[in-house]
Amino acid sequence: MTDLLRRLMRTPQGAIGLLLLAVLAAACLFGPWLAPHDPEKMDFLGRFRPLGAQNWFGADQFGRDVLSRLLVGARSTLPMALAATLLGTVAGAVVGTASAYLGGRWDEAIMRTIDAVMAVPGLLLALLLVSTLGNGAGNAMIAIAVTFAPGMARVTRAVALTVRGQDYVKSATVRGESASWIIFREMLPNVMAPVVIEATIRVSFAVMLFATLSFLGLGAQPPASEWGLMVAEARQYVHQAPWIIIAPSLAIAMTAIAFNLLGDGLRDAMNPRDER
Amino acid sequence: MTAVLSLRNYTLDYLTGSRPLRVLQDITLDIAPGEVLGLVGESGSGKSTLAWAIMRHLPKNARELSGSIRLGDTDLRSLPPRELTRIRGRRIGMVFQDPSTALNPTLTVGRQVMETLVNNRGLGRREAWDLALELLGHVELRDPEALMRRYPHEISGGEKQRILIATAFGCRPELIVFDEPTTALDVITGARILDLFARLRAETGVAALYISHDLALVSRVADRVAVMKKGQLVEEAPAASIFARPAHEETRKLVAAVPRPENRLVHDRPGDRVLLAAEAVSVRYTRRRLFRPPPPPATRAVGFDIKAGEILGIVGESGSGKSSIARALTGLADFSGGIRFDGRPIGSARDMDGAYRRAVQIVFQHPDGSLNPRQTVGEILSRPLKLFGTGQANLSAEIGRLLEQVRLPAAYATRWPHQLSGGEKQRVAIARAFAARPSLVICDEITAPLDVSVQASIIELLLALRAETGAAYLFITHDINLIRQIAHRIAVMRRGELVDLLPIDAVDADHVHPYTRDLMAASPTPVG
Amino acid sequence: MSASWLLRRLALILYTVFIVSVLVFGITQALPADAAVTLLGENATAEALNAIRERLGLGDPIWWQYLRWVGHAATGDFGLSMRTGQPVGPEMLTALGRSLLLAVAAILVMLVIAVPLGMVAAVRQGKLADMATGLISYLGVSFPEFVTATLLAMLLADTLQWLPATGYVSPLEDFGGAVRHLALPVLTASLILVAHVARMVRSETLDVLHSDYIRAARLKGLPERTVLVRHALRNALLPVVTIVALDVGYLLGGIIVIEEIFAIPGIGRQLMVAVTARDLPSIQAGALIMSATYAVANTLADVAYAVLDKRIRYD
Repeated sequence: MTDLLRRLMRTPQGAIGLLLLAVLAAACLFGPWLAPHDPEKMDFLGRFRPLGAQNWFGADQFGRDVLSRLLVGARSTLPMALAATLLGTVAGAVVGTASAYLGGRWDEAIMRTIDAVMAVPGLLLALLLVSTLGNGAGNAMIAIAVTFAPGMARVTRAVALTVRGQDYVKSATVRGESASWIIFREMLPNVMAPVVIEATIRVSFAVMLFATLSFLGLGAQPPASEWGLMVAEARQYVHQAPWIIIAPSLAIAMTAIAFNLLGDGLRDAMNPRDER
Repeated sequence: MTAVLSLRNYTLDYLTGSRPLRVLQDITLDIAPGEVLGLVGESGSGKSTLAWAIMRHLPKNARELSGSIRLGDTDLRSLPPRELTRIRGRRIGMVFQDPSTALNPTLTVGRQVMETLVNNRGLGRREAWDLALELLGHVELRDPEALMRRYPHEISGGEKQRILIATAFGCRPELIVFDEPTTALDVITGARILDLFARLRAETGVAALYISHDLALVSRVADRVAVMKKGQLVEEAPAASIFARPAHEETRKLVAAVPRPENRLVHDRPGDRVLLAAEAVSVRYTRRRLFRPPPPPATRAVGFDIKAGEILGIVGESGSGKSSIARALTGLADFSGGIRFDGRPIGSARDMDGAYRRAVQIVFQHPDGSLNPRQTVGEILSRPLKLFGTGQANLSAEIGRLLEQVRLPAAYATRWPHQLSGGEKQRVAIARAFAARPSLVICDEITAPLDVSVQASIIELLLALRAETGAAYLFITHDINLIRQIAHRIAVMRRGELVDLLPIDAVDADHVHPYTRDLMAASPTPVG
Repeated sequence: MSASWLLRRLALILYTVFIVSVLVFGITQALPADAAVTLLGENATAEALNAIRERLGLGDPIWWQYLRWVGHAATGDFGLSMRTGQPVGPEMLTALGRSLLLAVAAILVMLVIAVPLGMVAAVRQGKLADMATGLISYLGVSFPEFVTATLLAMLLADTLQWLPATGYVSPLEDFGGAVRHLALPVLTASLILVAHVARMVRSETLDVLHSDYIRAARLKGLPERTVLVRHALRNALLPVVTIVALDVGYLLGGIIVIEEIFAIPGIGRQLMVAVTARDLPSIQAGALIMSATYAVANTLADVAYAVLDKRIRYD
């Protein structure tokens, strides 16, 4: 593990990704304590106060400190995106592995159905699900997880099929190992790496999808300082105070970039061909 | 007479990580007009790098430290890229190892041949087309007109290599570099390509550098043979004398490792007890699907038996179904027909119980794929030990014993597969098979990816293990000379069918199948 | 490409539409909204509610309701909108037309930018052009549509006043106006695709450039220009068809947001309006039409690939 971390730090993407992630993790863990102001405190004299010593990232339409809202808002964005990805990955990995293991007609039927489900654009599926489940952050998280599952199932199945064709798995089959040994001890450790990489990159999609749902009014609800919601609320004040749009926009982009970089870094670090 | 190609004190490094790696050290060699120089060496000896250096196509991390490469009067090292383009193809041609990847898959064959002729001979399209037809006809390709309109995937590997050779000769270069041109082809196809090479070079008098790992083959096609080891040229001698009087130690090693059919390594006779009998075994991979015609079976009604302690060789070209037999016998492929093991009938993979799985073991072709990269050697070997007996208590002692049995240090138990060489990995795979104390070991092309000297030591190991344990081998290979050294009987397969099953001393007899005769004739036997 | 291959593709697309219809119907049926209440309002009498439930067949078994809906949908009849009382089908198809105009324009703009960008990056691997493309790609895929749209509108419409911020003009009525109004949405939609496609084109081109047949072409003495143009770039372009087809799904999702932000009455905006109003027939129609469009686009891409690529024998 420490070895992987060291190799990750050696790739430029991995190093920058980890650095950005550390900042995000700090915001999630200590956001309320790091925040210079109370994120809910309104200050009508300070409405639309530009960037400066008093409010580093300016103040919004109610005079609330944008930086403080961003720091506290990290909690309502990032954990949700991570949980959605985790849920979707686990569900997808189970289906994908099962499909690869069953093989034959079952595999064919499962994969064709998954292809069909993927014909529904991701955002549309999430939209339908949220409208059924009801607006709110928790439901948005579940909708994103469901949206991700088919894609993860495809990725896992493709990797699992490659691994299943390897001679060491054949060797285990030939000596009469049980199905559970073959799946959990021979296949799974080799399937994990590519799936983890894929999942990492997908966190950035989850962050964006979650923010988009909130932006459309279906995810996190006011007065939460979820970043997508902050952008939505700030849109009508674009003339007075562009910074209240720009700050949360950049926060979303930075998070997405962090996970994209980390995923690419992991790909390089986990690739055994690069060992020398 | 001046040499066509002459290298003087040529030295080259690859920059890797911390320090430079010496790949070619002080190479000096000449090729006279019309001469064929064979270049032999094991993988990593630098022979391919030398070819790339001559073609001026080196990787970015290559550093040329000293020396010269001259083609006739031209100093190749000092030429700018634009000038080099005019040399390549026109004055030096090259034929590659794998013809299937050397042609652009999305352009017709004819277009690619013409393009080269137009560019290198300065012909018009009409003339180039006519010349291409003539060239293809000259290398014994049927219906060149139709062939020219096909795409590379629509023709066979042998046909592609003929086309590439025809094109290289058709540009009338002074020198052609051949980089293992028959390695990717089947034995018989490869032999015909070699015949073609001999004829064309006699007709044209082009000088050639012929690179190969196969000393026996090179000594037949070359006038002179140069032997490389670790980037150095260790010996140069006329082809006729290199087998008879190898001077350098490396050459002696290579000569000793060349399998000679007359030099039998197995002298005993197997018993009469039939260990395993295959009765009309057919393997079919894909099932019938909607809107699709069923594919032909991989093997059709193959029947043979293996006696206890016997070595049975199965030979045939790729796609002949010989590996499918291994997959059927181990339950990896569904089959129809039946197997009898120790008199017990086995109708399908479900009938293969613990006793059968213990008794029948398999070693796969690719050592890289056959060991789980996320388990240590010790973990890999412990599984069959746990499954097939030996109590937990002396597990590590057993692992140590197994490693010693395959001539590896016991300390290797803690190593990961990627820390081992190809030969060492194959030894671990063999140890895993023998951990079960099997009575039959199926060896599926296990020596194919290894260097000849490593190959020889693996064979030696297998024979020693057989002497210790009395196991029988089903040895699947395409190396005829090797199998003639060790097998008691040989089964010849072609297009899924068993065409011959012969005792080893009958393979040269008159009554063999014509295909068997072709196969035997196609295997180069060492000269001298 | 054989007839049986085409037949199988056709069977697949039917299966896809079937699964999508089940999915859409299943999810929307679970909506907590009571269609009768939505139609008549909270204050309707119990009798009136029962009467309308009877008329809509809401009491029938669920599979029967599904079959009835699919049967009608197959003829283009998606029922009446609960919001406007107008037939949903024609309304959605008109909206789809506007969305397709936006989508096709975005794909064209994207291709013009992304393909050369990716190829130049691959040919000049490791050089400045490559690094710049890499940076653009990273930034591009990390900005969700609503952020890109908001920022672009802020810059080009509010600050610089070059383009109108919202609205839709039919190109049949006023072509110039249509172009000006579509410019921002198209730019937004294409930017994310540019980032993704340029990256894929780069890696495809690199694969081809490192292939044995390119090396062989160089060593045959062909000039570098011929090698690049005739041998490398041609082959690298083939997979772009598949990449673009896969991105259509992403584009369609993005269009929901983009149409919402720029107030374009396309299918995405219709869908958002329907979701907000809990207008069941409109949601079902919009989702089904959108998904079917994607499925058809994918099949077309497969067929195009099969026609273009001589390597693969489809049997």
